[in-house]
Amino acid sequence: MSASSDSELIISIRDVSKTFPGVRALDKVSIDVRKGSVHGIVGENGAGKSTLMKILSGVYQKDSGTIVFDGEQIEGTTPQQSMKRGLAIIYQELNLVSTMSVGENIFLGRFKEMKGMRGSHAKARELLDSIDCKVDTHKLVSQLSVSLKQMVEIAKALSFKSKLIIMDEPSSSLTAEEMAELTKIIRQLREQGISIIYISHKLDEIFEFCDTVTVMRDGHAIDTRPTLEFTRNDMITKMVGRAIENEYPPRPAKVGGTLMEVRSITTRKLKDVSFTLREGEILGFVGLVGAGRTEIVRAVFGADKARGHSVFIGGKRVPIRNPRDAKRAGFGLIPEDRKLQGLILPFSVETNISMASMDNFSRFGFIRRSLEKGIGERQVKALSVKTPSVRVPVGNLSGGNQQKCIVGRWLEIAPKIFIMDEPTKGIDVGAKYEIYLLMKRIAEDGGAIILISSELPEVLNMSNRVLTIFEGRITGEFDPAVTAVDRIMASALGMKEVPA
Amino acid sequence: MSGIAKEGTLRSVADFMRSYLLVVLIAALVIGTAIFEPRFLSGMNLINLMRQFGPLIMVALGMTFVIMGGFIDLSVAGIINLVAVVTISLIQIVGQVPALILGLAIGAACGALNSAVILSSGALTQAEALFMTFGMSTVYSALALLYSHGSTMHFWDINKSKSLFQAIGAGKVGPVSISFLIFLALLALLWLFQTKTTEGRAIRLTGGNKIAAELVGIRIRRSIVVIYTLCGLMAGVGAIVLFSRITTAAPVIGAGFETNAILAVVVGGTTLKGGNGSVLRTVMGVLLIILMSNCLNLLGVSPYLQVVAKGAILVFAIWLDNRKQ
Amino acid sequence: MVLTLRSNPLVGILTKQKALPFILVMLVGMLFSKTRFYTPYNLLDMLNSSSILLILAFGVTLTIVAGGCDLSIGGILVVSGILSIKLQPVMGMWPAILCAIVFGLLIGFVNGFLVVHQKTEPFIITLGMGLLLTGVAQQLTDAHPLPSQISDFMMISNGTFYGLPNLVIITLVLFLLSAWLMRYTQFGRNLYAIGGDYEVARYSGINVIRTKWLAFVLSGGTAAFAGFLLSSKLNTGSAIYGDLTALVVNCGVVVGGTSFAGGIGGIPQSALGLLAFGMLDNVMNMLDITSYIQILLKGAVIVAIIWLDSFAQKRKREAI
Repeated sequence: MSASSDSELIISIRDVSKTFPGVRALDKVSIDVRKGSVHGIVGENGAGKSTLMKILSGVYQKDSGTIVFDGEQIEGTTPQQSMKRGLAIIYQELNLVSTMSVGENIFLGRFKEMKGMRGSHAKARELLDSIDCKVDTHKLVSQLSVSLKQMVEIAKALSFKSKLIIMDEPSSSLTAEEMAELTKIIRQLREQGISIIYISHKLDEIFEFCDTVTVMRDGHAIDTRPTLEFTRNDMITKMVGRAIENEYPPRPAKVGGTLMEVRSITTRKLKDVSFTLREGEILGFVGLVGAGRTEIVRAVFGADKARGHSVFIGGKRVPIRNPRDAKRAGFGLIPEDRKLQGLILPFSVETNISMASMDNFSRFGFIRRSLEKGIGERQVKALSVKTPSVRVPVGNLSGGNQQKCIVGRWLEIAPKIFIMDEPTKGIDVGAKYEIYLLMKRIAEDGGAIILISSELPEVLNMSNRVLTIFEGRITGEFDPAVTAVDRIMASALGMKEVPA
Repeated sequence: MSGIAKEGTLRSVADFMRSYLLVVLIAALVIGTAIFEPRFLSGMNLINLMRQFGPLIMVALGMTFVIMGGFIDLSVAGIINLVAVVTISLIQIVGQVPALILGLAIGAACGALNSAVILSSGALTQAEALFMTFGMSTVYSALALLYSHGSTMHFWDINKSKSLFQAIGAGKVGPVSISFLIFLALLALLWLFQTKTTEGRAIRLTGGNKIAAELVGIRIRRSIVVIYTLCGLMAGVGAIVLFSRITTAAPVIGAGFETNAILAVVVGGTTLKGGNGSVLRTVMGVLLIILMSNCLNLLGVSPYLQVVAKGAILVFAIWLDNRKQ
Repeated sequence: MVLTLRSNPLVGILTKQKALPFILVMLVGMLFSKTRFYTPYNLLDMLNSSSILLILAFGVTLTIVAGGCDLSIGGILVVSGILSIKLQPVMGMWPAILCAIVFGLLIGFVNGFLVVHQKTEPFIITLGMGLLLTGVAQQLTDAHPLPSQISDFMMISNGTFYGLPNLVIITLVLFLLSAWLMRYTQFGRNLYAIGGDYEVARYSGINVIRTKWLAFVLSGGTAAFAGFLLSSKLNTGSAIYGDLTALVVNCGVVVGGTSFAGGIGGIPQSALGLLAFGMLDNVMNMLDITSYIQILLKGAVIVAIIWLDSFAQKRKREAI
């Protein structure tokens, strides 16, 4: 730990912990940020960075630990109090009202303070000029590019006379030129004595302008050091490195010939995506959140419209216009958002399990209850879903058991190609392992799985093959069994030179 | 373990009370009336009650499916207006059986048109459906006015055979009215449809979560067509039962049916959020509303205050429904 | 198909501002008709007869901009109209009017409680509230028109001021007042923020519940004000005017370009939307279109407008 005295620190985080149902998101995290420095925080998805930031801003409340900001201990704060105190956050999902003008967004809720519309726009102009941003303050935010929106957010942060600005992955959708612009502004802010916490995946940026770096992993702050003391490989190893041998079953052994081929999916977010899937294989998609992983599978499954995409199964072109076609062609999907896209929470476990296989237990449009009753019981037993009965609402079950219901729903019609989007999100460790075993069994029974997960170890340990996806295109293909993790990581981060 | 079980029972009692609070309240009203007003249990009154069951229950049964599918239909009033005036005039022109069939077909066609309007616009919310079907209701009512030139048509103007409609309106088999038998038959059919067919299941799933239903391959667009067509058809049945009973058809005959039907469905316990519900619950809802107005009539409460009571119950029922989620 | 529609600028204008082209078509069309449409008398009459709907729309716009809607205004309109006459013998004219307006504010408060505080869907619950109030109106009048006994009462709406009908002047004043409220006050801007993005508004320290709640209260108050003006205009209070008013006004607001999605639109837009409806009435009368066809056309227009509003959202949602 750094030996600087407390008066030099803008923020001091001590032993902060936070637990969500089933997940320990932060475990005694301690980080100090010096005044006037740019402090980088790196870590995989799910390392706890965003949770930490949300605690700092007051969106979440911490379970334990202390936070001292600018010499003042913070307890039970709200986002708005943090702002007033001088701690501003620029979120990944930008916090602007898209139907309002730039000037009004900067002074949202402070119309009176600013003496009306004219005052807001004049002051906004001043703030934007101070960071060399030329955008018209009367323009609607919905008409701005992502980078301009970020400038507006920065101006908003400055309007509160912020002493600390936290940027949560600001670069995830910026072009190189826009990034250069942001870099300039960050340096400029530092010169004005404003401290910055910069959260990112992209190591280039971290090395370019961060003074100090903290690496986070699994809810722990693993290491904090001046940037110069880190090497690139060092940092990647710390981000991903851990012994994880026993958390995963061995990969499926028998991989056969090509089962499915996808040719050139193009949508607003995807650029000419093509790939193949083999029999008995688990194919992992690695990429940042928002890189386009979910968009690819949704397009394949017919849930989103796409231009000029074609799916070939067993060499034959299969038209897929909607999820129904996909189901007929032998696909199954575990959607990304269990509650919004997967389950009907007030409905019974049985109904939720049987909803994909209605054709199996109906004849001439009539449901045969005797056959349906078996389905719920069978899958609940086969997947050992913990539920008092198949009649209870699925919303009463724990996350892992809910997920098993979705898996069971598809097992009932035995899809050849199983798409699993974040299958273990929000599930505790024991249930995770059961899901892994299920995946292995599906693959070994001749099916194939496309696995999307934000947990890198999970994808790497489960998959026979991984594709890296960055900014809507496939950037690499690797065999995780023989490839160094940092090479895959580098490819998923869109780095041109892959470290040796 | 027994502690958990006990807590479970307590909770299910609380759940029951919450789900059926309205039922309990109205039941209390009915029992109170029966005690203080002996006329309530008289034979005449009960027969009168059974007669009131007719048109509203038909409309409410159709509405149940629309609400269960996660939508709403304000156009039933317009459909009733249109079907009533067209059917009664057709008896004179094409004879009674074709008139009956054509009348029902018009109801179903209006419903199908509603779904076409909604689907083509890509509307997914109840609010959008509410406004669109309101506009459609106005259109259907205007067509009814145009067709009838705004005048009321009477049975006695028809000089062809109208025995079928007279039977629907006033006929009896033993002590039971024919319209009540029609209701029982339709209820049985719709209950089978709701619980035993894949389409009935698809409607429930669509109402429960459109996105999840579509992602498992349910044809949600087809379900939307089915619920509106069915609702239109049942509004047509309601129209025919209604004008057969009162032996006249005015082009404004259906006014207020949309709110009463929604009220019946919601009071019965079908959630406005879509998914859970049942035609049996709606029967209970209609029964409760009829009993309530019957009680209020016997107690001498003005019909206007009864509208107030219905409005208040609708607001209260929606609020309760919202609290449950 | 989607692409060609998107590139068509006409569709773009139609989906954003549906009232203006609608008005223009009518204005141009009437140039070729041999009617008295283009006479100052008729144009003023058109404004005068649209005024009640316009005033209602000003209040409703607040709730729709904030992401809600108010279908109880029809009920408030008739009940407060009746109250402003019925209470006259008891307490005199002005106190009666005041009571009527307070009544509207109270109903608005209850609506706000249900919709904003309890987070129920605004559409059906305010519809139910409207039904309830219609019953109240019928009870108060025994479903008969209730004439006012004070002759001054009628003059409030029917008098003129330097040749301009009072009603037009009142509407104009309310228009300016509400436009100012929405455009130049913290309250108005906060409503836009809430409708645009509820969570962002909340995080920005806006008291979202209180602000949105107040919108419903004001909507109730405006509806009550319109109700007393309507009673004064007709010199009677009656329960029958509430039937379709609420839905027509809410549609009119959407025609103007204020979307149920919230956050966009405003008072001038709503005024245009309701004027379009008022003009449609006027034009149809001028052209001697029978009343049944008028009803038909109005229904069709409402469907078309909401259809366009939904379709615009669909295009946005499904853009590739």
